[in-house]
Amino acid sequence: MTEVLTVDHLQKRFGQFQALKDISLTIHAGEVFGFIGPNGAGKSTTIRTLLGILRPTAGHATIFGLDAWRDAVKIHRRLAYVPGDVNLWPNLTGGEVIDFLLRLNGQQHSARTDALIQQFELDPAKKARTYSKGNRQKVALIAAFSSDAELYIFDEPTSGLDPLMEEVFQQQVLALKQAGKSVLLSSHILSEVERMCDRIAIIRQGTIIEVGSLSEMRQLSRSTVHVTTQQPLAAIADWPTVHQFTASTPTQAVFAVDAEAMGQVMATLSQLGIVALTTTPPTLEDLFLRYYNSEAGHDDESLR
Amino acid sequence: MMTNRFANTWAILRLDLRHDWLKITLWIGGLAGLMVIAAGKFGGIYSTQQALVSIAETLKTPAMVALFGPFTATPPYAVAVIYGAEMMVFMGLFAAMMNVYFAVHATRAEEDSGTAELILARAVGRQSQLAAAMLELVLINVAAGCLEALGLQAANMAGSNAAGDWLFGLGLAAFGLMFGAAALLAAQVMSSARGATTLSYGWLGVTFIARMATDVANPDWTWWTFFGWIEKMGLYTTNRWLPVGLMLGFSVVVLAIAVTVAATRDIGAGIVSPRPGRRTARAWLQGPLTLLVRLERTSTLIWWLGLFILGAAYGSIFGTVGDLVKSNPMLAKLLGNSGVTAANHAVILSLANTLTVIFAVVATIPAVTTLLRLNTEERQGRLELLHAAPVSRLRLFSATVIQALVSGTAALALGVLGMAVAGNAVMTSPISLARFMRGFVGYWPALLVVCGLAALLVGCWPRWQRLIWLVPVYGVLSKYLGPMLNFPDWAQRLTPYGWVNAVPQHAVAWPPVAGMVALGVAFLVIAGIGYRRRDLTMN
Ligand SMILES: Nc1ncnc2c1ncn2[C@@H]1O[C@H](COP(=O)(O)OP(=O)(O)OP(=O)(O)O)[C@@H](O)[C@H]1O
Ligand SMILES: [Mg+2]
Repeated sequence: MTEVLTVDHLQKRFGQFQALKDISLTIHAGEVFGFIGPNGAGKSTTIRTLLGILRPTAGHATIFGLDAWRDAVKIHRRLAYVPGDVNLWPNLTGGEVIDFLLRLNGQQHSARTDALIQQFELDPAKKARTYSKGNRQKVALIAAFSSDAELYIFDEPTSGLDPLMEEVFQQQVLALKQAGKSVLLSSHILSEVERMCDRIAIIRQGTIIEVGSLSEMRQLSRSTVHVTTQQPLAAIADWPTVHQFTASTPTQAVFAVDAEAMGQVMATLSQLGIVALTTTPPTLEDLFLRYYNSEAGHDDESLR
Repeated sequence: MMTNRFANTWAILRLDLRHDWLKITLWIGGLAGLMVIAAGKFGGIYSTQQALVSIAETLKTPAMVALFGPFTATPPYAVAVIYGAEMMVFMGLFAAMMNVYFAVHATRAEEDSGTAELILARAVGRQSQLAAAMLELVLINVAAGCLEALGLQAANMAGSNAAGDWLFGLGLAAFGLMFGAAALLAAQVMSSARGATTLSYGWLGVTFIARMATDVANPDWTWWTFFGWIEKMGLYTTNRWLPVGLMLGFSVVVLAIAVTVAATRDIGAGIVSPRPGRRTARAWLQGPLTLLVRLERTSTLIWWLGLFILGAAYGSIFGTVGDLVKSNPMLAKLLGNSGVTAANHAVILSLANTLTVIFAVVATIPAVTTLLRLNTEERQGRLELLHAAPVSRLRLFSATVIQALVSGTAALALGVLGMAVAGNAVMTSPISLARFMRGFVGYWPALLVVCGLAALLVGCWPRWQRLIWLVPVYGVLSKYLGPMLNFPDWAQRLTPYGWVNAVPQHAVAWPPVAGMVALGVAFLVIAGIGYRRRDLTMN
């Protein structure tokens, strides 16, 4: 697979403050790549560096094999971007902004643009000053989706959209995916990331702490087990790979199991005579919370 | 009911003052300092009765009346009287500018940035912000007025008296408040801070031009120009308080209107609700330059029109200014017909020189505003979409510079043109347009250098970009008051406006022109390089 975007040990410092400490990631052609992390982790900073708005302090970022800082203009011809906070010129109408953005990329207002305006239910004749946050976001989204690019970068594009519009957004991203486009999606809406992204990077305090597909990440983490057995199962509670063991009766319990110990646990449980069993794989939210909470230090061993 | 609408006004006032105290201190200190320093200088320059009589004669000429206001005192003249006549209009302009700034800053600007919304969600009245802004203006003006009065008392010019000192200080305070009130009203009417500032300056400009025209034609009419009240106080001669009462009364009326308008509109909106616009962009909206042209269209046209009108207003008095025989019938006999014409022309061209400096300084305002816009828009997050498009930084920067230079250049040219056209319409023996245009050619390089400096700050030191305003402010100060204050040569040459030779009296001196153009271009190039190399987000 060809690499569309490569970030190699990227660092960014604002004065004394090191916003990005060590960012490395790769996006392949045709891939939808999720980018998640707590507020202030450095997602937007990374994206702005990729766009050549910020100059890297150290490290490299290449897009389409070109240097993100030096060859920004060449790169931008083949890319579409939607920022999280869309601010428009108050005196222009949404329609004017959409056309203007398209023309900057050498493209034209097309039937597709009109269809998108319809789908997102935007009134393009209104002055940008009168648009709500969600409507401003729609303007940038319509411009991005109706331009023909190879890489689409979205930085929290749906933070102001209502659930119906959010659905339209997801459909459009899936359509891009089908068309073989690459997408970088930074988002706090984990269900969105879970549904659409092939691979995910988790960033915290300027460092990428995990990259992989959701299933890979799941394998690195624990599943929750609800079980009822014929014989008492208290012995399992002491296993180092079993966590948060709570028993409601001697033969009924809920606990979390490290992925690598799952087979062993199952074998033991079946010897005890399973009456009922459900295992739930960790949701992205579980993963996310676990990674973030480990920052406090008290739960460090819970990482893997 | 009243208490509800204005609930927590004091808390907001305290917050405003805490935010603005440094700016307030700088403004007040600057104004009072300027007055005291000037007062000290006047004592030194006009130390003999002979010097006083000679300056008084000069001040009575129509050219000087147009610039400084009428001179009505009778001999024997005292230093303080000359001081009052020369400083009143000038200080009034600065006081008005300060008030417009703080009025818009405390109201409309807060609405634009969204701060107002945060505050209004608290237990404050709908009109508390407006009320707090009014109180802030009153406080600022009273503080400035008292400081100026005390400063004048300390300077203790010959012929000054406590009544005159306090009348000057408090008169300026009332004058400032009058324009601050108008700016508060403008902030309610317009839908953006920029619009409110433009309208306020428009009002200041209209009243200023009206006062100039009436002063030259018939000073009695000046009573009807609002601006003119400040001239009617008879500083250190009659010391009249009536104009102060008029200014205060007018302020109260305008404030009352502002409160009424504020009650009928929504936060964040003007009174004119925005109409729907185009569903698609016009074909020419293609890149950063056309975008800037589209965004600045209205304000550019207003500046161009404003400068043409300002030029024409001054030009229209050339008939009176250039009629030396009227004030001195002996002259015709002494000089003969051609001699009189030459003398008349000399007076007009000398006035045209001062006026061209003023046009050049005023023309810098739209140009510099456009340049600073590059970073202002950046902070407002509006350029992020543009940066992600295939638009190089150099192209964006160049577009800004081009728009700035075109709007500034045309503004300067239109000012000179307005002056020439209106002047020639009223003069008995016209002066060629080409002669007047020497002023344009001479001062354009100064405009270019100031734009270069502004671009340098924008490109390389964005945090300090607003310091550029010191250049035009000091420029107008040194060229307008400098000659009266006997500024030393170097002090006049601190800004590019001081590097230009006396045009249009003399032919344009090409070496300084070439030097300034080279310098301006060099600044622009360095600025462009700086802008290309730095980070773009600053917040
Ligand atoms: N221009 C700047 N100067 C100084 N610090 C900055 C600048 N831009 C960002 N930062 C800091 O860098 C850190 C990362 O910010 P960034 O905007 O990348 O976070 P984020 O992951 O996008 O967060 P969010 O989820 O809230 O959007 C923050 O601590 C922020 O305060
Ligand atoms: Mg962000």
